[in-house]
Amino acid sequence: VNEPEMKHDQPPDNACLDEMTLLLYAERQLDREAAQGVSLHTQTCARCLTLLRALDRESRLLTRSMLEQEEPLPARLAEFHAQVKRNMQWIWGLVFGLAALGVYELYATYIAPWQTQLNEAGFTGNNLLSLVVFQGAFWKGWASMFGLFQVLAVMVMAGAGLFAFRRYLRRGSAMAVVLSGLGVLLAVASPATATEFRKSDSVTIQKDEVIKGDLFVTGNHVRIEGEVDGDVYAFAEQLEVSGRINGDLLGAIQTERISGVVEGNVRTAAHDVTITGTVERSVLAWNDSFTLDSGGKIGRSLTVGGDSIVLDGKIGRDLLGFFKNCTISGLVGGSVRARGEMLSITSGAEIDGKTRFNGHKEPNVSADAKLASPVEFSKVEHKHEARTAGYYLWRIIFTGAFILFGLVLTGLMPRFAVETVESAGQMGASFGLGVLVFFGVFLASLIACVTVVGLFVGLSSLMLWALMLMASEVVVGGIVGQWIMGRDHEFWPFFLRVVVGVIAVRVVTSVPFIGGWAGFAVGIWGMGAISLALYRRLQPALAPKIPSVPLPPVNTPLPPNTTVGGI
Amino acid sequence: MELIARARTGDTQAWGDLYREYAPAIFRFCRRAMPTREDAEDATMEIFMKLRDKLVQYDASRSFTAWLYKIAANHCWDMLRRKKARHDKDMDDIEEVPLECPEPNQLEKLIEERTGEEVRRALDKLGMRARMALVMRYYSDMSYDEIADALGVRRQFVGVVLLRARHELRQALGESSALAVGGAR
Repeated sequence: VNEPEMKHDQPPDNACLDEMTLLLYAERQLDREAAQGVSLHTQTCARCLTLLRALDRESRLLTRSMLEQEEPLPARLAEFHAQVKRNMQWIWGLVFGLAALGVYELYATYIAPWQTQLNEAGFTGNNLLSLVVFQGAFWKGWASMFGLFQVLAVMVMAGAGLFAFRRYLRRGSAMAVVLSGLGVLLAVASPATATEFRKSDSVTIQKDEVIKGDLFVTGNHVRIEGEVDGDVYAFAEQLEVSGRINGDLLGAIQTERISGVVEGNVRTAAHDVTITGTVERSVLAWNDSFTLDSGGKIGRSLTVGGDSIVLDGKIGRDLLGFFKNCTISGLVGGSVRARGEMLSITSGAEIDGKTRFNGHKEPNVSADAKLASPVEFSKVEHKHEARTAGYYLWRIIFTGAFILFGLVLTGLMPRFAVETVESAGQMGASFGLGVLVFFGVFLASLIACVTVVGLFVGLSSLMLWALMLMASEVVVGGIVGQWIMGRDHEFWPFFLRVVVGVIAVRVVTSVPFIGGWAGFAVGIWGMGAISLALYRRLQPALAPKIPSVPLPPVNTPLPPNTTVGGI
Repeated sequence: MELIARARTGDTQAWGDLYREYAPAIFRFCRRAMPTREDAEDATMEIFMKLRDKLVQYDASRSFTAWLYKIAANHCWDMLRRKKARHDKDMDDIEEVPLECPEPNQLEKLIEERTGEEVRRALDKLGMRARMALVMRYYSDMSYDEIADALGVRRQFVGVVLLRARHELRQALGESSALAVGGAR
């Protein structure tokens, strides 16, 4: 910035003073000699005196305007919360490192073996996720759009986006715009094919009837005698398919009977399933009893879980089963992997691949059964009594993870963290609400997933539920820590109590026999405390804890009035 | 002073009291200096975090409020500078233009007619440097030396910054052209 040369010390005689000189005089910034000159001049010059007075009054107007209080202190400033911004970068590195380790462990321990098993059972790549979870009734594009890691990547990007724009998202209007935009995006995503809805006590698709597109059907008795040229989503007490479905069949059904043809896959949760017809592709079924009749045929693999499984018909590829009792009398074109109490392989059975059975008893295998190789049997062992060093090592690692999770939560929401821990102190209310939320939200989310409410709402609620469950250990740790060390709501002392409490909780939940129940109680208690704190936050009567700051009195130490001189 | 001394020793209760006593004034300072309410909230929080770290450096022989405002002013100006908003919107091109001296009676009339709310609205329209200078001088009563130090200008230039800020303010109040009839004298 260029600074102009100024000379205010000697105002010219017989001439009006410039505004700069008068301002400096009013603000007592002139030296004694120059100030005397201005004083003498203003005694004889009305114009300069008026301007001097105006400048003085302008100063007072500015001070008064700035001092006037027209808005209260914001809620988040009502109390001091030390933000954990500085010197915390290492924490984030540690958190991400641990998260990466956790993801790897999750993948190596659970996902990879499952993937292998599912590949053997006829599923490939990430098809399971897309088929089971994301293949919604209204937009089939999910299946091709999302893979597991794509979903994770999108979630991470969304989180980063929210973090980057958090300042703007504080405003409700901005948040509303974002959510509206998301809603519009979901609404604009048009279905690949039209969906027809049928709802009645008894629904029948007649023999000569052809439905072009998907069918969404609910009712007590549902019969499909005609043809559906698309997928069928069924929620019924009884379902009988004697016609033809050219797509997949998905549903939750009490009694399901397929005597016709399903060209695609069958994915169902049912009490009883009987297949006497043909399923061209794979079957995934969780039920009480499952029967593949001698005339029944599954083109690809069967993945089944249930009490009683009877397989007389043909399975084109692999069988993956979890059951109490299973009898195989038909043909299995691939391998068999099974886990259960009892497996019988009768004389008419033919298994073209390996047979592995992990069960309580040795399988009954008929000498006349045609097997590609002898059954590989392994007895189920109860390992919970013998805990290895690895178990305790992972308990320690996860305790560290929970502590870091607690640090992140406390750092991000210090005030809410304190409120939640205080809510956990009210054990009765927390437990009561916890039972409601633990079961209620979970069931409601599942219902939302399988009804027209939609997968998006259902899965979002489930994720929130899971997050609350994870945070519950930290919350209960916080109150236990306060019981041990006393109350303190300053950041680090508070966090220290969380650390001590989480360690104590983890020790209790590691005790054999009672640990599981203790963990369950902690989950309910913590979820209840979080819900209670949220409930209180949303109560309008409790919200204005913010002190409305009145206009300070004149003699208040802050800020002092501006002094102007010279008149 | 006892409160400050106790807060310096790490007394959390004293720190809480100190915060509650001074937070409203500092928030108001930030609200006047910063462009948005969210910026003001962030700035207030960060100023008190900074204060807690620096409290041990406080020289008890000086005015605490003046010291606190100096921290606040420095922090707000740093924030504005980080937001690349340091250059006043008119600073570079109008700097060389001589200011017209207002007609005294019309200036008096303008001041009489304007309310505090109108002035605050007009302040929001000013460039960052102009607003910051006015807030430092007329809200927190900072000296020319302190203002020069905070804004990073020579002391002799502070008067010019303040005068130009006043002219900007008058213009924002919508009366500048009517007032500037006398020309520079």
